[in-house]
Amino acid sequence: MNQNQQVNEGSRGRQDDDAALSEFLASLMDYTPTIPDELVEHYIAKSGFQCPDVRLIRLVAVATQKFISEVASDALQHCKARQSAVIKDKRDKQQKDKRLVLTMEDLSKALHEKFHSPAMIGAQSPHAMVDFGENDAIGDRNERLDVKGW
Amino acid sequence: MSNGGGESGKKECEQRTKGRFGGGEEFGRAIAKISVAQICENAGFQSFQSSALETLADIAIRYIRNLGQNANYYANLAGRAESNVVDVFQGLEDLGLSQGFLGLSDVNRCPIGSGLVREISQNVNLEEEVPFLFNVPRFPVVKETKLAPNFLQVGENSPNGHIPHWLPKFPDPHLYVSSPVWNPRPLGVPVDKTDLTKEQKKVEWPLMNLQHQFACNGSAPPLFVDPGDATTTKGAAQSNPFLSAPLRFGEKEVTPLFHPAKLESHARNHVLEEKVAPVIDKAKSALDSEDSRNKIVLNSRPSVQFKLGISKKLLTSAMGLSSQRKSVEKTACWFESDDKKDEKKRKKEQILKGPMDKPQELDHL
Repeated sequence: MNQNQQVNEGSRGRQDDDAALSEFLASLMDYTPTIPDELVEHYIAKSGFQCPDVRLIRLVAVATQKFISEVASDALQHCKARQSAVIKDKRDKQQKDKRLVLTMEDLSKALHEKFHSPAMIGAQSPHAMVDFGENDAIGDRNERLDVKGW
Repeated sequence: MSNGGGESGKKECEQRTKGRFGGGEEFGRAIAKISVAQICENAGFQSFQSSALETLADIAIRYIRNLGQNANYYANLAGRAESNVVDVFQGLEDLGLSQGFLGLSDVNRCPIGSGLVREISQNVNLEEEVPFLFNVPRFPVVKETKLAPNFLQVGENSPNGHIPHWLPKFPDPHLYVSSPVWNPRPLGVPVDKTDLTKEQKKVEWPLMNLQHQFACNGSAPPLFVDPGDATTTKGAAQSNPFLSAPLRFGEKEVTPLFHPAKLESHARNHVLEEKVAPVIDKAKSALDSEDSRNKIVLNSRPSVQFKLGISKKLLTSAMGLSSQRKSVEKTACWFESDDKKDEKKRKKEQILKGPMDKPQELDHL
């Protein structure tokens, strides 16, 4: 009995999920992601991903955009925190320039947070591990980006 | 371990990226930089450090590639060559969003059933659409490879008819026939320069043809033709009259040349040609040596005429007279003093009058 109930619930859940997915895929065609389709197509073709469906390419683009926007927002928070800290210390002098600049410091902090969170440690798959340390072309001179997990 | 400090480290990085990725990569990176900058601008940033922007663009590219790799892996695992939606979501899960999502802990679930779909769909609905700025063409552009022409294309008949016409044609004979080797003459032996140039040309022609063949991928006729090869000579002559073989001696009537030595009898008016003609010949044969040029310059100096102010003398002046006058004046200047001016003047006049009376003295010029 319990098993039947579980299966029923499972099937209903799946139907909902399918409905949500099909809705989502339909909405994808209306939304134009900031990362152009041609760029995404070029890079996923390099890794062997073959798919004639445009929606999947859009899906990859949207996922990447989401990821980058998360990193950017984290870096922005770091930048604002630093600015507010400076203003608190020196109130007599002029306010610091309000220009928000993406710096390597903020970026590396944001990326560290992203990839060293507790949730990540469990979800590591062998084919997704990349060690940025020595082989990386973007290695920061001051800080080493030690990214594992993807 | 660091990547090497300072600028040398950066150069290594650039070289490594260039070596790892192929051509057309720069365009992709530039586009990625622009799109990442747009996303960051949307997030609230007003300007970027260039190194930070490049780093973030590189991360975005890696993310795309890893996602593609994961999706492909799952598709292959399921026995398919083409990926589908489920594979992509599985790949997304693997990359793992740091926040995690609902249903990740449930082992027996479909990847679509997780909160991942909901997250992404929320993202799509909530975020305002920021389309990419420029129209991106399909890249990389694939060039059509030009294959070697086959027999049919060139119009030749395959030899003996046993080779099908759709196979590529044989290479031209000058590519595999042995050409004459450059034979250096021993030093000290007087060299006839025309013979040398002929030999040089013989050696150069096949090489030039080979180069031309590579440039045109075998479709163009050979540029340079050995005059000994009668059949190709005709072909070349028909195509380009300037490249036809030179005429042999006696084939065409030419006006006879004036030998420069014969001009000595007309010494007064032709002294210029006497001096300049051999000089011009020398110049043609010795183009590269600067010494000869200097010599030419030195030799030609006496040919310049100066007006020296004595009008009577100018009327009757020849080349030799002016030069003699100059040399006399020079020596006069060196030894001149106030006391002896009159004597020098008298001497000058004597010398100047002298050649007019004795024209045969000019032969030494």
